[in-house]
Amino acid sequence: MKKIYLHPLPIRIWHWVNAGGFIVLILTGANIRNILNLFSVETAVEIHSWLGFVLLANYFIWLLYYLLTLNIKIYIPPLHHPIEFAKKALRQAIFYGYGLMVGDENPHHSTSDNKFNPMQQMSYLMIMTVLIPVQIITGLFLWDPKLFSPIVDVVGIQIFDLIHVLLWIFFSAFMIVHFYLATLGHTTWAHIIAMFTGYEEEHEEHGHGEEHGHSH
Amino acid sequence: MDNIKKELSFLFIAFILFPIYAATAYGALSDQAKVCLTCHSGRGMTKTLENKEILLLFIDKEEFAKSVHTKIDCNDCHTGYMAAHVSKKRVIKSKREYAINASRVCSTCHPDDQLKKIPMHSPLMAQATCVECHGSHYIQKMAEWKKGVNETPYCLTCHRHSLSMHLKSGELLALAINESSYKGSIHGNLLCSACHRDFSKTKHPVRTFTNKREYTVLATKSCSTCHPNEQLRKSPVHASLMATATCIQCHGSHAIKGMKIQKIGMDESQYCLTCHRGRLSMTMRNGESLSVYIDESSLKSSAHGTLKCTACHTIFSKTQHPVRAFNNKREYTLINTELCKKCHQNASTQYESSIHSALFKSGNTKAPHCTDCHGNAHSVALAKTDKTIGLTSCNKCHGELNSSYEASVHNIARIQGKANAPVCSSCHNAHNIESTKMTTKIKEGCFKCHKDMGKVHNKWLKNPPIKTATFAGAHFDVVSCAACHSPQATRRIHLSLFDCKTGKPLTEEDIIKLLDTTDAAGLMKKIDTNGDKIIEGKELWGIFSMLWSKGVRTTFTGKMDVSNSAEAHQLGTKKEATRECDKCHHPESPYFENVFIVISKADGGTTVLPAEKGVLNSIYSIIPARKFYAIGGTNISLFDILFYVALIGGIAVPIGHLSLRIIFSPIKSLRKMGKGGKK
Repeated sequence: MKKIYLHPLPIRIWHWVNAGGFIVLILTGANIRNILNLFSVETAVEIHSWLGFVLLANYFIWLLYYLLTLNIKIYIPPLHHPIEFAKKALRQAIFYGYGLMVGDENPHHSTSDNKFNPMQQMSYLMIMTVLIPVQIITGLFLWDPKLFSPIVDVVGIQIFDLIHVLLWIFFSAFMIVHFYLATLGHTTWAHIIAMFTGYEEEHEEHGHGEEHGHSH
Repeated sequence: MDNIKKELSFLFIAFILFPIYAATAYGALSDQAKVCLTCHSGRGMTKTLENKEILLLFIDKEEFAKSVHTKIDCNDCHTGYMAAHVSKKRVIKSKREYAINASRVCSTCHPDDQLKKIPMHSPLMAQATCVECHGSHYIQKMAEWKKGVNETPYCLTCHRHSLSMHLKSGELLALAINESSYKGSIHGNLLCSACHRDFSKTKHPVRTFTNKREYTVLATKSCSTCHPNEQLRKSPVHASLMATATCIQCHGSHAIKGMKIQKIGMDESQYCLTCHRGRLSMTMRNGESLSVYIDESSLKSSAHGTLKCTACHTIFSKTQHPVRAFNNKREYTLINTELCKKCHQNASTQYESSIHSALFKSGNTKAPHCTDCHGNAHSVALAKTDKTIGLTSCNKCHGELNSSYEASVHNIARIQGKANAPVCSSCHNAHNIESTKMTTKIKEGCFKCHKDMGKVHNKWLKNPPIKTATFAGAHFDVVSCAACHSPQATRRIHLSLFDCKTGKPLTEEDIIKLLDTTDAAGLMKKIDTNGDKIIEGKELWGIFSMLWSKGVRTTFTGKMDVSNSAEAHQLGTKKEATRECDKCHHPESPYFENVFIVISKADGGTTVLPAEKGVLNSIYSIIPARKFYAIGGTNISLFDILFYVALIGGIAVPIGHLSLRIIFSPIKSLRKMGKGGKK
């Protein structure tokens, strides 16, 4: 079995910190809204605030890594070939919706330069460059509205809370779906193990596919 | 022959006439008197009394010989005086004491009951001693004396003394005349009876009066004998004054100087006070009577004591006194408070921005103006020294709050004499008093004394991981100090409507116009669409959207506050303050169950409309109340539902996908085995 080095250490650290942080943030967020009652409001806010700043720093680890290594390109779809990209994306969607179930080969084979399939590219690009920054920023505004009053007072704190809560809802659903999709490797735990070891095992059947890179 | 005649004439005069004369004159005195007069005829004979007064002991022999007492022994009046009295020096306290003691002897020959038979004598006896009126050693027979004396000295015989008359009202009418003042007055050459026509040397009726006013009205009638009313009424000011005051009230009686002399020499304020120290009043068109009396001592000790009258009353002077008419006392007060602006510009500008000014501009004439709080301008105390003005003046209208202030830590501090213990004006400001319903601006009053509250609250009110003073400030913006520091208060949320463009409250009157209604009732019909007098979330959105459609951008600024003014003043100690986060930041917090929509009015007041219990949890409130949010306390309920939906959706995707994988697994197996379908 060929092993491909897909996930550098900084990215693996970043990922698991993010994962753990997301889960705790979602749960403490639910606690703050009194959907869960794991802690007092004060404790939930304290944990949420601390982790918020951890993930803020974590985000910059991701950003700095990908900017300094110039590997940020793996998140950026080939916009110069939009039709080709659209076709690839459709193919990937068909794979997930049907091909996977009937044993078709994954049209995308991950490599370190081309880690994400088109659907992943679009999703993660949106998440990493828009959704997470927006969540962090709105979180900061809610953390201390007075400190950011030039913006908060103009727009209104409820608007930022609306965005933050809608994203919380999205990420709650995303975490479940993301975890499930992570089990869609050649084995259930293949992608998850790869995110610990850094190496994705390339299945022998692959190697003749159109694309390289197999990761969810 | 001629020489003999001359000698005989000389001898006749020397030995007959002269001795007869001497006997008649000196010989009319008793032997004892002659003895006493050996010393007491010396002009320099005096005695210094205990009070340093000089008592003359000189007796003019010739004048005494003419008096009715000439044949009496000195001892008959001066009982106990023998020649040996010189060695026993008498201690006399004062001339008055001497006169009193000396006068006691008079009743030996002149019994009191006889003297009291004379009508005017009886009250005079109560107020003056015999000696003070009649003198002592030169008393003539009354009939003879009366014939010889002029009228004015005759009257002054009694009236130079401290006489007075008790009136029915209990007042004491002074009857004493200062002789020198009278002689120096413009009437100094007139006989007393020129004015007091019922009186003369032979007539002195006994009169009774109800009060001083009655007496002065009667006495004043004499003035028109020389000063006809038509002449006096030529001056409009004088004519109006004549309607409210008697001549005597303004001009006095026995010490009147000529008006021109008075005016030239007189200080301006004293000139004004000539009339205004009298009980003058002005009648308004509605019949109200306004006193224009000035208490001179109050004026002098007031903050305006060093000012001239014309410093404020600029249209008046020694030569100008316009006659003005006012509809009522209030109108007079309000017009005159404009005078305050001349010197108190700062305070006046601040007042213009106040709720009191708004109330006044809306037409409420009862709205407080300068004098309503500071009192009459003629007796106003310096605000710097009068520390209680910021409490007592407010109590005139806001007395119902006094009991709650009295129970507060602030009043306790004030009673304990702590410096700078706050009163009403300390927090609410003296002049630029604003409504406390619309914003939490009142906290600026608290911060005047309670400095660095951001830092102080940060000790426990902090949002980790970084302690920021602004975090406490975020609370100060939306929570009134009283909401946490008034232990027994019922908290509520006020959503106040503001115009985003101007940053000022949008008034009810503005909204009525914008929404094409005619009055508050019409506006309510438009706002409260279901007529239940409660504003639901949809109706809150309705207000916002209706105004949006008219091009007005609004927002409901929220704040947590106590329920009423009394609770706002029931401030407790630090220990009693609310510190638990979940008191507010909890969906079940009772504070968010009492929500009220507050709309400002042009007169500074507010219209308060109750809102539905969960209005802040409604999705309709997000945009209208976008500037108010309490994490955990005002969660939008719909999002909790969406969260569950997302969870279910998130779980449904893997479950659905897995299910499909299971369903399609036979096909996958067949493909793997190479049978059927594509490889």
